[in-house]
Amino acid sequence: MREAYIVTSVRTPGCRRNKGAFAKTRPEDLLKTVVDAIFERTPNIEKKDVEDIMIGCAFPEAEQGLNIGRVIAQMCKFPDTTCGATVNRFCSSGLEAIALQIMRIKAGWCEVAIGGGVESMTIVPMGGNLPRPHPEWAKENPDVYISMGITAENVANRYKITREMQDEFGYHSQMKASNAMAKKLYKEIVPTPAKRYVEKNGTWIEETVLQDFDDGIRPTTTLEGLKKLAPAFAANGSVTAGNSSQTTDGAAATLVMSEDAVKKFGLKPIAKMVGYTVAGVRADEMGVGPAYAIPKLLKLTGKKLEDIGIFEINEAFASQAIYCLQQLGLYEKRELWASDSDKRIINVNGGAIALGHPLGCTGAKLCAQLMTEMRERGVKYGVESMCIGGGMGAAALFELVE
Amino acid sequence: MQRRIRKAAVIGSGIMGGGIAALLASAGIEVMLLDIVPFDLKDEEKNDPKARNRIVQAGLDAAIKSKPPLFMDKKKDPEMISIGNLEDDLNKLAECDWIVEVVVENLKIKQELFKRIDGVRRKGSIVSSNTSGIPLKEMSKGLSLEMRQHFLGTHFFNPVRYMHLLEIIRGDKTLPEVLEFMANFGEKMLGKGIVWAKDTPNFVGNRIGVQGMGKAMQAMLEHGLTIPEVDALFGPPMGRPKTAIFATSDLVGLDTMAHVSKNCFDLCPNDEMRDTMKIPDFVNQMIEKKLLGNKTKAGFYKKELTPEWKSIRKVINPKTGQYEEYGKPDFPCLEAAKKAQTLPEKLKAIVYGDDRGAKFAWDVVSNGLIYSANRIPEISDTIVDIDNAMKWGYNFEMGPFETWDAIGVKKSVKRMEKEGLTVPKNVKKMLATGATSFYKLKGGKKLYFDFATNKYKEMAANEKAIVLADLKANKKVVKTTASCSLIDIGDGVFDLEFHSKMNAINKEMVDFMMEAGEYVLDNGVGMVIGNQASGMPAPFSAGGDLAYMLGLARAGKFAEIDGFIKNVHKGIMGTKYAPYPVVAAPYGLTLGGGCEVCMAADRIVAHADLFMGLVEIGAGLVPGGCGMMHLWRNYVDSKPEAAKLTDMAGFFIQAFMCVAQAKVSSSAADARKNGFLKPTDRIVFNRDILIGEAKKEVLKMVDDGYVPPRKKKIPVFGREAHGMLWAEMNNMKIGGYITPHMEKIAKRAAVCMSGGDVPQGTLVSEEYLMNLERETFVDLWRTEETQKMAEHIMNTGKPLFL
Repeated sequence: MREAYIVTSVRTPGCRRNKGAFAKTRPEDLLKTVVDAIFERTPNIEKKDVEDIMIGCAFPEAEQGLNIGRVIAQMCKFPDTTCGATVNRFCSSGLEAIALQIMRIKAGWCEVAIGGGVESMTIVPMGGNLPRPHPEWAKENPDVYISMGITAENVANRYKITREMQDEFGYHSQMKASNAMAKKLYKEIVPTPAKRYVEKNGTWIEETVLQDFDDGIRPTTTLEGLKKLAPAFAANGSVTAGNSSQTTDGAAATLVMSEDAVKKFGLKPIAKMVGYTVAGVRADEMGVGPAYAIPKLLKLTGKKLEDIGIFEINEAFASQAIYCLQQLGLYEKRELWASDSDKRIINVNGGAIALGHPLGCTGAKLCAQLMTEMRERGVKYGVESMCIGGGMGAAALFELVE
Repeated sequence: MQRRIRKAAVIGSGIMGGGIAALLASAGIEVMLLDIVPFDLKDEEKNDPKARNRIVQAGLDAAIKSKPPLFMDKKKDPEMISIGNLEDDLNKLAECDWIVEVVVENLKIKQELFKRIDGVRRKGSIVSSNTSGIPLKEMSKGLSLEMRQHFLGTHFFNPVRYMHLLEIIRGDKTLPEVLEFMANFGEKMLGKGIVWAKDTPNFVGNRIGVQGMGKAMQAMLEHGLTIPEVDALFGPPMGRPKTAIFATSDLVGLDTMAHVSKNCFDLCPNDEMRDTMKIPDFVNQMIEKKLLGNKTKAGFYKKELTPEWKSIRKVINPKTGQYEEYGKPDFPCLEAAKKAQTLPEKLKAIVYGDDRGAKFAWDVVSNGLIYSANRIPEISDTIVDIDNAMKWGYNFEMGPFETWDAIGVKKSVKRMEKEGLTVPKNVKKMLATGATSFYKLKGGKKLYFDFATNKYKEMAANEKAIVLADLKANKKVVKTTASCSLIDIGDGVFDLEFHSKMNAINKEMVDFMMEAGEYVLDNGVGMVIGNQASGMPAPFSAGGDLAYMLGLARAGKFAEIDGFIKNVHKGIMGTKYAPYPVVAAPYGLTLGGGCEVCMAADRIVAHADLFMGLVEIGAGLVPGGCGMMHLWRNYVDSKPEAAKLTDMAGFFIQAFMCVAQAKVSSSAADARKNGFLKPTDRIVFNRDILIGEAKKEVLKMVDDGYVPPRKKKIPVFGREAHGMLWAEMNNMKIGGYITPHMEKIAKRAAVCMSGGDVPQGTLVSEEYLMNLERETFVDLWRTEETQKMAEHIMNTGKPLFL
């Protein structure tokens, strides 16, 4: 099979739901910014060269409904010949979209495509606007509709991930992100117009500012502060707002091409996707997903854990992230993930606890982050992985192009 | 000129100022709340408006946070208030129709403030002081004549929203129309009861009240009683609040109480009982030690935690100044009072008893009666004003003169004379005319004894106020049982009055409702469902008669429960579809069955302080009187029929949570927000006119041509609700937020409210929903858990979560 390459990978900042910079910005506008940015950051290529746009979205309805992939192609003034689709696998949707485009290229069905993801958790709430679990099925097996926070509690309780461990992990995520923000390490971020509406002299005015940082990062976080937070999902639980991912608005997009196309346009690709896989687990402990998906991925690609130089493992909750690292044998090696270690290879610039988890965007967003990190550090193999609501895990292996 | 209060200014943002501002805002009046600029501003803050308004902002924030809530709608009402300070915003007083001063009780500060107000206010605007004791004539010295013509005292009581009393004090130049306007405004717009006070120290309520407290404290030491003993005697057995003497002082603050007492002592050199206003030494020592009551978490009472985290109540021992634990007070007279049925009987049992407690009570009560009679005409012209002040400002069930009537004037005067007490001259003169009581009914009119003319006089009747007790005394009861009555309130309108314990709805009432309905059908044009219980908060109806149903359940008589609910439904739907209008007039506690009776009425005319909710889940039940159906109907009916409901869940979840969380409204406005009141239901600020307003509403509906509501089918959310609820209950169960039986009840309530197992949007009949509700209700009674929960809440007043 022929090769497919990642050429450009960008993201908007992640901004807090309701209180953040993007609360009044439509998801299509976030997506438009990153899709357009691909063409600013990639020389020699034009919109007409792109055959298809696939967008991951966890709640593809209302403002992000009506096949946002095609809507965005039109909004970004691609010609009619550029197609579009929406992809949903909840939290891996963005990665799924990129992987689908990679496969299409590898199969020889396509030359140039965009995969990405978007989620405005402010505008379309988690669970959607009209959640309607099936009445009989909800009576027989309500776990299919279980709250994500409860699955995190289940993981913590079943596998004895303590509150202290979770808070510590959350603290390091914030510190790593604070460090990266201060040193401007998120090179994949595209400054994104953020709208706000203000009442002035009896009329309403739309204002636009350029947002260029993740506004959920809290450099002032302390362990003592985290300890004081009340459990968010269970009366005597250990999962809090401080050791869970933030709900966030954001978009990300990645340009992928065949080897022929790379040569034709004279581009230098960043990496290639070596493999992508999903693994099914129990719905009521969906957070364990990466513990199954990563070994499956390594087996599929014939790699050993030691071959991997960097990991982006989505921090949906500290409890599940810790459990997955434990299963991989990485958690006990504190130097691999702690903020005060320069040997760290796991979520090196912080994870979703600090940067946010815009559901359908996350897969594409982590890809963009991973591309920056692999290129900056010259790491050969990188793994991106996440757990998925309903009980799944996804993982992808990337290889840096020298 | 037509006076109106469109905008008011409240100067001073302390507890009273914040409370007055909150009440005005809740009543829909624009308010400007002002306070001083902080003295300790840093240089860089001197031009910062935020820093300059720091004090007033803190005052407003405290009012918003206060418990019990001062605002009726904590979110929307504060938007009626703008804040400012006395340096930058003084000129804005010219925009205000009423300026009320509520600053610190210091004559000089008040005088200076009024001079500044005189300089900026608009001519014709009303200015008043909320002082609790400083003479108006001192404060108004040197002010312009025009301002003095518009200057008066408006004395509110704390907490402003909940205390009914508003004392109005005439200044020496106040125009009569200004006084009349403010009394009307206070009564109608703010819902207050007006007492006309004279410009004497501490006015009416606090003059009598503080003397009574001082006397009780002194007498306690003389008679050798303990604090808990005094409070046990002077609480509910005597028709006074549970906080009685000492816990009330803790509530008010010992320093405030001492200040008011001292004010009285200083300004009333000729008061014959001046010495009773002296605060005992041990209290002064407590004030020095900052043991000021609830605000310092230690006063006469103090809560302590044992090492086992058990909360115990300790009480100060006046002799040692140490906190000690006391047992439950026990006097034969209290036992006798407990057995007595009516308040006059209870009072007699206590003051005419012969134990230590009774002797103490007689000493304090007789002293208070004499003191009150001696204050006429000094502080007020009539006994009515003094009685009202104590009832409305101190929450006594009876004022001093009503109390005197209750224990018998002749009998008590005899004892006073025998014991060498000086019986007031005006009382002696009254007895000499042959009159034996301060109040009496004659020819259907209520009369009071007027000391000035030494004759009975007709009470100045508030035309809008219907007093059920008076109507009953006037033989206007057309039907009655032990727990409810039907009263002719005139013009063909009849009032269905509940008068069971806590006005709980029992079998007798349900049967009576149907009989009453038949009577009104034959003899009247409409019905009001209303009563006038007292208490804090008073119960319109605290719910259904659990004891009755629990008895049936324990005996396994479920068919009888089923029959009872069938009858409840018949009664409730009978009022709903009666060919005459039915208006419910709830106030205070309107829970469970009480709430359901109201929701079935054609219209509700509610008092602003309405604590309404369907709380059955706390007793292990679902509402059994069509409450869920009518609440849901209120939700779906609140939109025009032409607008399509695409998100039924948005309506359903809110309505369901009211039941599942046993939500109780914090005000009538809040009840409307939660769908208990319909948009067409009315809110009335003054409870005294509630039944009158309800009657007016009935007559208006009759006049407009009344036809009963048409039977119509109700769209339901159906099975889609079950999917949502079962999924969410799973989360709550795992999260440890719900116990197994509560989960079961919540799910069954959801099935009832969603109309059972039908697709979304199905139109179902009322009978179908009523059957669902009745079956669920009876099924729950069959469970041991529900029986235990019901028993627990009956015995303890608190829910047990199984």
